[in-house]
Formats: sequence, C-alpha cells, structure tokens
Amino acid sequence: MSRSNSGATYVLLLLAVIAAGCVVSAKSEFFGKTNPPPQNVLRYVSGSEPESLDPQIPTGQPEARICMALYSGLTEYDPKTTVPIPDLAERWEANKDSSEFTFHIRHGARFSNGDPITARDFVYTIRRGLSPELAARNASLSYYIKHGEGYNEGAVFVQDSNGQFLLQKDFAEAEDTAQAPLTAKPVNSVAEEYGAVKGEQTPDADTAFHRFMHSPDRVVLPGDEKSRNKALNANAKLKAAVAGKQLVPIKAEDVGVEAVDDYTLRITLIQPAPFFLSLMPHQFFRVVNQRTIEKFGNAWTDPQNIVTSGPFKLAAHRPYDRVVVVRDPMYWDAGAVKLDSITFFALDDNTTIMNLYKAGEIDGMLNHSVPAPWLDLIQPLKDFMDAPEAAIEFYLLNTTTGPTKDVRVRKALNMAIDKQALANWRHVKPLTALTPEGIFPGYPQPKGDQFDPQKAKRLLVEAGYKDSAGNFDSKKFPVDQVELTFNPAGANQQVAEFVQAQWKQNLGLTIPLKTMEFKTFLVAQSKLDYKGIARSGWVADYMDPFNFLWLYYTPTGNNGTGWWDQRYVDLLDEANRQTDQQKRYELIAKAEAMALEAQPVIPLTTNATRWMKKPYVKGMYPNPQTLHAWKYVYIERDPSKWDRGVPDMSH
Amino acid sequence: MLRFIIRRIIVIIPMLFIIVSATWGLIRLAPGNFYTAEKKLAPAVEQNLREKYGLNKPWYTQYRKVLWNMARFDFGTSLKYEGQSVNQILWRALPVSAALGLSAYLLALIVGITIGTVAALRQNSWMDYGSMVIAMLGISIPNFVLGPLLVLLFGLTLFWLPPALWNGFPSKSLILPAITLSAIYIAYIARLTRSGMLEVMRSDYIRTARAKGLRERDVVIRHALRGGLLPVLSFSGPALAFLVTGTVVVERVFALPGLGNYFINACFNRDEPLIIGIVAFIAVAVLGFNLLVDIAYGFVDPRIRY
Repeated sequence: MSRSNSGATYVLLLLAVIAAGCVVSAKSEFFGKTNPPPQNVLRYVSGSEPESLDPQIPTGQPEARICMALYSGLTEYDPKTTVPIPDLAERWEANKDSSEFTFHIRHGARFSNGDPITARDFVYTIRRGLSPELAARNASLSYYIKHGEGYNEGAVFVQDSNGQFLLQKDFAEAEDTAQAPLTAKPVNSVAEEYGAVKGEQTPDADTAFHRFMHSPDRVVLPGDEKSRNKALNANAKLKAAVAGKQLVPIKAEDVGVEAVDDYTLRITLIQPAPFFLSLMPHQFFRVVNQRTIEKFGNAWTDPQNIVTSGPFKLAAHRPYDRVVVVRDPMYWDAGAVKLDSITFFALDDNTTIMNLYKAGEIDGMLNHSVPAPWLDLIQPLKDFMDAPEAAIEFYLLNTTTGPTKDVRVRKALNMAIDKQALANWRHVKPLTALTPEGIFPGYPQPKGDQFDPQKAKRLLVEAGYKDSAGNFDSKKFPVDQVELTFNPAGANQQVAEFVQAQWKQNLGLTIPLKTMEFKTFLVAQSKLDYKGIARSGWVADYMDPFNFLWLYYTPTGNNGTGWWDQRYVDLLDEANRQTDQQKRYELIAKAEAMALEAQPVIPLTTNATRWMKKPYVKGMYPNPQTLHAWKYVYIERDPSKWDRGVPDMSH
Repeated sequence: MLRFIIRRIIVIIPMLFIIVSATWGLIRLAPGNFYTAEKKLAPAVEQNLREKYGLNKPWYTQYRKVLWNMARFDFGTSLKYEGQSVNQILWRALPVSAALGLSAYLLALIVGITIGTVAALRQNSWMDYGSMVIAMLGISIPNFVLGPLLVLLFGLTLFWLPPALWNGFPSKSLILPAITLSAIYIAYIARLTRSGMLEVMRSDYIRTARAKGLRERDVVIRHALRGGLLPVLSFSGPALAFLVTGTVVVERVFALPGLGNYFINACFNRDEPLIIGIVAFIAVAVLGFNLLVDIAYGFVDPRIRY
C-alpha cells in the first residue's frame, strides 16, 4: 500500500518537474509575465509576517524593509551600497576620535500627523529604545551610547551624602588612561574637541549636559542585589566605599543623547566607534512620535492610531497577508518619492513567492527567494538579481572540549574541505576568512588556510592520530567524540552532507551528522553543549567588518566557540580609535588574521542575495543587504528603459 | 436529549483542562524561548524581556495564569506579535480558515456523495471502478503535491487563477485551495457513501419500499440515502472541526492568513499564549462538532434515542 503510494507520488512529481521544464524552456528573457501594474504601485514580498510595525521592537530584515518605508532615521541606506547617506540629518560631525557625533537635523521635517521632527524626538526615540519597560531586543545596538547599557539593565550610580558620585578611576586597577576615549576626559571647548569643522556653523555650544558626559566615569553597579553583592565581593575597596552610601538608579536623562537645540543632536559614546554612523539607518534608530505612543500605548501601531516619519504612511495591515503603505505628503522629500503606494506581502515560502512572481502578481521579492535547485534555470534570465551579501555561513568549533580543543585538529578539519567546490555547487562565493568577501571596499582582508588535504593529514599526525610508522591513521581519530550538528532548515542538510563527504574523502573520517530543532540548537550552541562542530551564520547589523569580528569580542553571547583572546580585543579597540579609515582597516585585518590563526570556526561561504525584480522596476539595486530606500524606486512603463540584467551599480 | 447535551458539555471542561495543561507542559519542555534567535541577546535585554512577560515568575504562578486565561477564554497577548491579543488573532484568522474549510467540505459533500451513490447503484460496473479509482487517487495524492500541480496548471500555465494569496470571500483565489483541500474528503466521502449505500440497498426496508411500488428514484433519495449517509455524518464531525480550524499545509502552499498558518508559526516561534489559545480553540471546535454530530444522529436515524 505505502509502496504504491510513494510510487504514485513519485510519478506525479516527475510529471510536475517535466511540466515545469517545458513551461520555462519556452525561451524568454524574463521569468513569467512582464506587464507593469496598472497603478503606480509596487507589489513586493518583504518576508515573514512583521513582528510589529513599531520600529524599535522587531529585529529582522523583513521588518526593516517595511520600517524603511514608514520611518526615517538620521541617515538612510544608500540604494546601491547601503552605506549611510543623509536623511533627516542633513550633515554631521564626529569628534577627533569618533567617540561623539553631532547631527544637524533638517528643518521642516514632519511626522505624518504634521508634528515637526526635532532633535528632541530623536532623544525620546533613543531613550525609549533603551528603556527596560520596552524590553527592546535591539537595545544592545545602542550600548555604545554613554550610560545606555546601564539604563537598559537598571544599573545604579553610588552617591555619598554630599551629593558626590563615586568614580571609577578611584577603584580600578592602574589603567592606561591614555587609551580612554575623548568622551571620558574633560574638554576645554567643543571646538577643540571637534577640530576644524567644514561649513560656517561650528558644533555647538558647550552645555551642562555635555560637561556631565565628559566628566570622569562614575562607578556603575548592577541594580539587582544579588549581582551587586557579587560584584562588590570581588573588590574589597569598592565594597567598603559603597557601604552606607545611596544607590541612585541610572535614568533615561543620563543617557548620552542631547538635544543641544531643536535641530542639533549630540550623541556621546563610551568608546571610539567610527561604525556608529552605519548603525543610524537601522530601524531601531528611526524616529517615532512621542505624543502618539504616550496616548495609545501598545495600540499605537494600529492603522487608525499610527503616526510615522518616513516617505510612506500606513494604509492597511492585514496580518499574515499584507501591509499597504501610501505616499506621505508630510515627508520632507515627498516631491522625490515616485511611487504612490507599496504593498508588502508577508510571505516566506519560496515556491509560493516564485509562483506569484511568475504569474505577475508581484513585482519584486526579498533576498534568498530563488530556491537553489531553480538557479540553473533562473540565473541566465535578465531579471535575476544577485550580489555578494553581507552575510556568511560557517561552522563553529567547540574549542573547550573534545578533539577540536586542539588547534591542529581545527585547522585540519578546515583545510580538508574544498570550499570552491562547495561554493560552485551552491552558486555562492567560497570563504576562508571571518568577514564576508568582496563587501567592504578597501578592507585588506586576510586569507585563511586554503584547501590542502595533505597538510591537513600532517597536522592530524602532529596531533597524535598516527600509526606506529608515523603515518596518518584515520582509525585513531575518535569520530564518536565529534558530531556535525545543525538545524534542518534551508540547505543545511545538503551542506552538512557535502562537508561530511569531504572529510570522508580527504581524511577518511566519517563524522556523524546530527540535526536539532532550531531553538533547541541555539540553546546548545550558546552553552557550548555540542560535540565538536555546529552550523552557524551571521548577517550584518551594519556595514562594517567589525560587526563580524565582534562575535568573538566577548567569550559568551554570540561567540559559541569558547575561543577568546585579550590581545584580539585590544587590537580591535585600537583599530576603532583610529580616525584614518585605512589605518583602522589594517588593524582590524590584523585582528582577523589573529583569530584565523586560532581557527575557532570553519568559514564556508559568503552568501549571495539571489532575488528577482521585474524589469520595469527601477531604482532598486542588488545591494549587499537587500535593503532598498523606497523613495528612489519607480515603475518604468517604457520597455526601452527597462533593466536588462543587473542595473548599473556605480555612482 | 437535553440531559445528554448537558452531560456532554460538562465533560468538555475537564478535557479542556487536560489538553491545555498538557500543551503548556510540552511548550515548557521544548528548549528555547520566543526570543531565542541566531543573534544572541545581551543578558540585560533578556532579563527585561522576561520581566515584561512575567517569565521570571515561578512556574505555578505562570500556570495559574494560563488556567485563569483559559477560564475566561482570554489568552492574553502574543509574545511574537507585540501588542496583538490572541483573541484578536483568533477572530481574524478563523473566518479565513472557516471560509476555506466550509467551501472545501461543501464541494466534497456534493461530489463525494454523487460519486459514491452512483458507484453503489452501479456496483461492479465501469462507473463503480472509475469512481473508486478517483477516490483512491484522492486518498493517495497528498495535498502538498496536488496543490502545486493545480497551481502549475491553472496559475502558471493557463494563467486562469491566482497561484496564491487571500483576496477575501468569495473570490477567485479561493478556488484552487478549496479544490486541493477537498480532494481527500471527496475520496473518503465517496467510499463511505458507497459502502453505506450498498448495505442499505440490501436491507429489508428498501425491499419493502420497492414492494410498495415506489419509483427507484424515490427509493434511493427518500429512503436509502438517509440510512446510507450515516457513516458520512459521523465522519463529518471531526472532519469539519479540523477543516474549519485551519489546515496547515494548504494554508502554507497558498499563503492564506488562516489559523493553520498561525498555529505552525506559533510553534516555531514558541509563542506560548498563541499556541495555547489555538489549541484550546481547536479542542473546543472538535468537541463541539462531535456533539453536533451526535445530536444530528438522533434526527437522521430513528433507531437512535438518547
């Protein structure tokens, strides 16, 4: 019974495949229908159902795409490169070591209800994002802002009876003060801190808040008693000093964002962070309307209540179906917005997306929508969009236990995989390093170890897996102590089988595969509760190589390997203090090379974006994050001006 | 009759209690949380989230809240979809699933009973065999194969019908999902009708009816069908309950915003209030539809008395 069942299914599947082949083989430049929509409306698949239309809540890219239509930030993603370009901030200055930024907000910008947008709205937005009550998952993006982390975790200052706060410098072990950022030191004048600023306006008055920001760092202790006592027990001097003093919770007003005047916003950071500008277009920093949120509470994003700040405003939201936005005449650059409306479809099934695209029901789609088995068919078509992505895939290695504790084993496992073959098969780029390749112009990326099975065997011999004659003996390797663990999503299974076959072929090792349900797997990863090898990946939060190296900046959190080195952290810190971008990149590259030497992970591939748009959709580019500034997108009705192939990406 | 109904309704309460408790326990056993993601959270952020959603309270407090929510049939707010209450989601998704499920079942009843009756009346003829082959196909082809095949033919080759999306009720976009969903039910109903009818047609009261000189059409429609459809009726209770409360596969294939779609994603998202809400809702629907079927039995079959 079941045999005939699967037989029938098989025949039908075969028929379907043949039919699909026939349909597409009818030669065409494009995939399916190419009739532009009758109205001036873009129909776009943005990914899975948005968690919320409140820009500070959701963490994913599907929401980012919708938030980019609804909200504006200080800066916007460039449509071609996704580097930050002016939006609500028409210009900005960084101080001499990039630890403080002053943004000049555009005059005449308005929310969708007509309220003017001022620096105060950004102060509100950032404080709100950090507030413990909102519990925003992205809050840690603004931990670079002074007292941001402390406010978010409910930490406290310590104040004595004279109103004086205890200071860190009095309790820290002798620390190199030369390395402290400018913002931790008093500054005589703002002009001196910032140096010569282009244009007639100089940064802005010194204020009491500015001096507070530049005052010596106060002692910050955990808010909850248990962790506080633990921290105090570790430092007897501090414990004695704190006794009997008043604990003052860190408030929203202490966070380092200041409206110097209505159109000047100053953000003070705890460390030099040149990449901070790249964070500003993130939905978390896009400006929201205080009056609306305070009036409606949780219901403020309902279509009848919502107030937005972007080129489009919300017209309808049908969960698990679509979000409709229409052009907002209040937007500061409304004249430049070309589309009347965008319909975002909340879909995440690739076949469904491709079907709708072929039938001409949608005009564009998010990245990774073209399923890998379709690529041979789709790749030659002129509406296929592809670009290296600011996202990588790699395998974590457990550096704390088992055979992978030995760096030679880690290197051998890495060298025994032919990543070029993997990449060719997956239609992506091979990766040997820790940062994606070909994304960051000017970054002198170090190369990791190349495919070299002979050297891999020699390393394993050195690690002691040899027979009496000193030759490599695969039987000595304890394959039962190692597993390649992954969650069975996307092509993870096929990639794991490929890698397994590589190890079998090149080293004679049969490493068992193990699948785990996604969330179970994530928990196992963070606890280092996996044997040897675990699948992982990273998608950039902002366009900077530091975002990828930051994974190993702390021993816990996103690390997942157990590898951590103080020298590595120092190098990255030093890099971020540089004002010269090239010098900074060189130091970051040095840190990356250092991590590669320790091989805490096996880099696999730099992802490719792989999506499609109809040829009549213009102003939409295959950029590394597949995030499109919607005001530049338009529908071209003249077929002679259509995009045939990837549009011109040069500026 | 009334006593029977009341007794059945009272039984629903402990069953719901068990179902909800078991679901809650299973969710807690599953590792990970609604905020677990590839990008790990800062410890303080996680702490804030746990505080916000009451996850740092002891288990009995959380369990009590689940039961209290159950008692009021108000399941709180979704963890994944900030600010949306579970009841809101249920009432929004239910009409979609119900429209699809009822259309599909109506189609299945009409086609299935027709095929089944024809097959029974012409037993062992080519019509009988033909019908049963169709029924066999309906049972053997899973809907995740049938759906894409229909899409390929009508959506992507002939371009007659949209390949996916929900455009309200009634609309062209409902046709393909309804056919896909009904296929297996057509098959079951046809087979049930056939065997039911075959049995009834041999029974004494049909012979009596014929002996009275009734026309064959009257014999079949007025006398035989009533008895012959009893198996279909008892099949309809649970079938309808499942159809109306969402069908994961078809809703996924055609991207319909129904309960099934929400349910499967709620599980992946570990969205506890939403999972419990949907499970409780489905449980009530299944128990309710079964009750309705039992009541209907009393009317259709004069031999059954409560």
